[in-house]
Amino acid sequence: MSGVGALWDVASSSILYASTARLAGLLAFAAVGEWVAEKAGTLNISIESMMLTGAFGAALGSDLSDNVVVALAFGLFAGLAVAWVQANLSHRLAANQFVVGLTLNVLAVGLTAYLNAQLKPDVHRVGVWRVPVLARIPLVGEALFAQSWLLYLLYPLVPALWWLVYRTRWGLEVRSVGENPQAADVSGIHVNRRRRQAVCVAGLCAGLSGSFLTLGLVGKFGADGVSGRGFIAIAAVIFGGWTLRGTVIGACVFGLFDALRLALPALGHPVNTQLLNALPYVMTLATMLVLARRGRQPGALARPFARGLT
Amino acid sequence: MVDTSGAGGRPPAPSVRLDGITKRYGAVVACDGVDLELRPGRIHGVLGENGAGKSTLMKILIGLVQPDEGSIAVGGQVVRIGDPTAAGQLGIAMVHQHYSLVDTLTVWENVVLGDRAGFDRAHARSRAADIGERYGLQVDPDAVVGDLTAGQRQRVEIIKCLRREPTIIVFDEPTSVLTPAESEQLFGVLRRVVSEEGRTVALVSHKLDEILHATDEITIMRGGRVVERLATADATAARLAQDMVGRPVSLRSEAAALGLVGELADDAASVEQADAHERAAAEQPVALRVEGAVVMGPHGRRLLDGLSLEVRPGEILGLAGVEGNGQRALVDALSGLLPLAAGTVDVAGARVATERPGAFHDAGVGIIPEDRHDSGCVLDMSVAENLVLAHPSLVAARGLVQRARLLDHARRLMAEFEIQAASPDAPMRSLSGGNQQRVVLARELSADPIVLVAAQPTRGLDVGAIEYMAAQLRRAAAAGVAVLLVSTELEEILSLAHRICVIFDGRIVGELARHEATPERLGLLLGGVAA
Amino acid sequence: MSDRVAEASAVVGSRAVASGRAGATERVRAALPLVGLYAASVTVALALCALLVSSTGGSATRVFGALLDGSVRSPGAWGLTVTTAVPLLIVAVGTIVATKAGLVNIGQEGQLLLGAGAAAYVATRLHGPGAVVLTVSFAAAVAVGALWAGVAAVMKYTRAVPEVMSTLLLVFVAANLTNFGLTRKWLLLSRARVVNNTNSGQPLPAAARLPKIHVFGNTISWGVVLALALAGIAAVVVNRTVVGFRLRMLGLNARTARRAGVSAVTYGGAALAVSGGMAGLAGGVWLTSGIAGDRFTAGISSNLGWQGLLVALLARDQPATAVPMAFVFAALRTGSGFLSATGVERRIADVVQAMLVLALLVPPAVRAVQRRRAPKEVPA
Repeated sequence: MSGVGALWDVASSSILYASTARLAGLLAFAAVGEWVAEKAGTLNISIESMMLTGAFGAALGSDLSDNVVVALAFGLFAGLAVAWVQANLSHRLAANQFVVGLTLNVLAVGLTAYLNAQLKPDVHRVGVWRVPVLARIPLVGEALFAQSWLLYLLYPLVPALWWLVYRTRWGLEVRSVGENPQAADVSGIHVNRRRRQAVCVAGLCAGLSGSFLTLGLVGKFGADGVSGRGFIAIAAVIFGGWTLRGTVIGACVFGLFDALRLALPALGHPVNTQLLNALPYVMTLATMLVLARRGRQPGALARPFARGLT
Repeated sequence: MVDTSGAGGRPPAPSVRLDGITKRYGAVVACDGVDLELRPGRIHGVLGENGAGKSTLMKILIGLVQPDEGSIAVGGQVVRIGDPTAAGQLGIAMVHQHYSLVDTLTVWENVVLGDRAGFDRAHARSRAADIGERYGLQVDPDAVVGDLTAGQRQRVEIIKCLRREPTIIVFDEPTSVLTPAESEQLFGVLRRVVSEEGRTVALVSHKLDEILHATDEITIMRGGRVVERLATADATAARLAQDMVGRPVSLRSEAAALGLVGELADDAASVEQADAHERAAAEQPVALRVEGAVVMGPHGRRLLDGLSLEVRPGEILGLAGVEGNGQRALVDALSGLLPLAAGTVDVAGARVATERPGAFHDAGVGIIPEDRHDSGCVLDMSVAENLVLAHPSLVAARGLVQRARLLDHARRLMAEFEIQAASPDAPMRSLSGGNQQRVVLARELSADPIVLVAAQPTRGLDVGAIEYMAAQLRRAAAAGVAVLLVSTELEEILSLAHRICVIFDGRIVGELARHEATPERLGLLLGGVAA
Repeated sequence: MSDRVAEASAVVGSRAVASGRAGATERVRAALPLVGLYAASVTVALALCALLVSSTGGSATRVFGALLDGSVRSPGAWGLTVTTAVPLLIVAVGTIVATKAGLVNIGQEGQLLLGAGAAAYVATRLHGPGAVVLTVSFAAAVAVGALWAGVAAVMKYTRAVPEVMSTLLLVFVAANLTNFGLTRKWLLLSRARVVNNTNSGQPLPAAARLPKIHVFGNTISWGVVLALALAGIAAVVVNRTVVGFRLRMLGLNARTARRAGVSAVTYGGAALAVSGGMAGLAGGVWLTSGIAGDRFTAGISSNLGWQGLLVALLARDQPATAVPMAFVFAALRTGSGFLSATGVERRIADVVQAMLVLALLVPPAVRAVQRRRAPKEVPA
């Protein structure tokens, strides 16, 4: 019966909700960015490194300026820098996007660890800002509206990205280059430019995610905070069947697992954290087993485009 | 004022002038100092065989290819057209065959794709509907393009093109996906946009009939050069044919290659020959029997809907039909590439295990696929390897490929089928379309097939290669192979087939002996009207 | 489509005939700019690394010196580097087989980890002569690695799940599975005591160590013979046999292959299993090579799988090229081990390595783009 007891303990713990919101937010920032990149046809596995450099950039910015906005700008820029490299190598020079992604992941781990050891940046954590009224909503109010204000950036970001992808010309073109780049090309769309831009959007979002980690959650640069979460963000996009809503739901579910992993031992319930860690991936695989045949993934996902190749 | 008098009267100033356009690919000159003038209010036919350079020329005009030399002037101003967007800004648009649509997007989204103007959903949707209305090209703007038929998709292409109100419109081989009736309708639209709206139209085609029927003036290209310019009123089929091919041609014997239905329909001698052939074949046992074949497509559509047909040894059965009526599915099913949801296939009386890879090949079904790059050859393997794809064991010992035997085998077939390649080791990719097709043909025929399925076997080939292919098909039939010729070109069907079936919407809607096959009757059947 | 393709290929075709007789000197001349590009981009990459190090208060000469010392210059370093190259090469060879069949397996890290785990499980339980223990351990490593890749194959061929994604996701499942194994004594956890507060495996018995070759003061694991043999076998199978012929056909044009009787399930499934099995074997070989510690630990794979994948991709799927490439990657690994001894943050080696990979990536890509822009010659 201890399992049921544990679940009850956990479900009644408001700490869990708050922690879920934070961890889900961390994933969601990156996942919605990855979603845009995948919509345009890039399976962007360097999202992990973009989060990492974003986290370090924010730490550096905070150290240099003592100003959250500057720190955030540094974080965004750091994420964007990696994205720029990924975008240009894979969608200008047509280098294999997995090779580039894997390499950038190695590079980011090395670079941030090295710079962190040399520079030892000092981070000023962003305090909690309780949103008046909203924070008093029962059950979820505390979790969603009594957090570091960086998390609140997510709330407008999600609808903004939806609007960008489904209601603007840019979004239409992004979807077309991810789906059928040849057709987009003859329609007069610069396929690789759109793909580069989409990767850059992912870089900005991942930079935001890393900044949130450093400035809002940890208060220092910690590579452990990222380790593997970029891949969970990718899993969230796949889990969500390449819809924005599904992606956000995926991030929330996987954030909950993450929170459980941290909360269960703290509440005195020994739990198998390893198997819990594996859950996001197993669930994503299971989802793909069920949904893959419907073929909802962008038609040209992970396929490079060059004019004349069919 | 726009001159709408067609070829007569004083010609209006050209809206586009191409001057000395040259494009080289290495040693080969695709376009060699081509001059071309397109005038408003005229339909200008650009006629030429495949490889004559007309596609390259049009790609240059639309900004997909950059010329090495020469200039383009639009409305008297010399311009540089760097990409399709730049072309669009100059008022130049092209109706592509079917490459520019994204299946997962809706009609209206496809229509506005590539525009630079503002993005207003409601407006875009109503515009799409309006243009459709104006030209009699109705389509639901909210339909998803992937669900449309080939003909409807082309309507979307045309709407997409016209929406930008281009002054100069290029149609690239527009009729291959259309029924004769739809083609007529298309030419009506063309006539309208030139005479009522004063636009400029270029119609690119290799079919004489079409050019004679629909244009005002004609430019003929051969080997990258312009060989003749004339008013359509002064043109005759014989003259066009000779200029296009570069030697005197017999309209009758090469009518199929030239796209002349009229020459074929009433050729009494060949009709009688075909019918005689048919009577002889009818006494043979059936070589290929397809019974109630059903193939499901995406979205639960039936690509084949209970199709049945029989082919006997020594006969050429022509399967006529407008593109997109299930021909591709049938050939894919006979290649083992698409599973049959229902129905059976027998070859020489033996049931084929349709789901096993290679089963059809083993049963003796040779295939010349419609798109040889898709399922006929491996572009990144050598010619020699491509000649043994299905039977590498022919040239292997103890599991190891014997290089000497591989090359031997290749040289023999290359000589027999006159395949031009630098060496047997040359990559398949480096061969011309005609030679690639010969490699496919050589491989399939050298396996001594019982049945040979030839799908659009001459598409994209020049007249010489077309003739070669036709001769090979006749020879195969004479040797007792049951030939199933799948073609959208009536000319090809009428010149080769001994018996004709018409496919519509995944079913056989009519079967005609050769003497019953008049263009009128076939035209009705192609549109799905039972004879 | 066909019309345009035909026209384009007609053009390409006659060009091939024209350039087919180009002499060897011309080929060398054509290759020269590429060599120059490589030299330039590697120089730029190393210069950037040097700039990074010196601008953050380090000494670039010391870093590069340490990297060289650790990988080749100091006594015994060669042997270490070669032994480290072994698992990289084995992973790469497996990857090449999958890539030839047109499959993108990016899950070698997980397959390797599970292979190492399986080898550790067997080796710590089986008693007997070394040859037997090693053989059975390796067999277990191959089987488990193949099984793990087989999961992706089953998902691909029954439910059309793209193997790129499934193999990637399975890496993390594998990592967590082995971590779980390290919490249970009946699986991998040391039955004695917990070392350093982290979960570590049961120490391997002395019998379960690959024998060593001693050459000029260097100690090389016998695994190198295994790896080179596998690379040779792979090269012959892929390029010379009927099986390899069909495998390549499948990879280059799956539809033509199906029509020609090549079953994607059989050949593709087997290729995935082989690549997983090789990654698993690499894990087993690494575990018993003697330089990866004396037991299974959670971090034992330490990016060997990812790097092996990179070796294969950078070697452009040629087993022969993979051999030197694996050595370069191994040199960077062993060199970085030496860095920490000199007081420089050892992670800088990751930076050097990544920059070098990017540098190797750029020249062929630039060439390909140039060729597309001005199609003057036919790719051979």
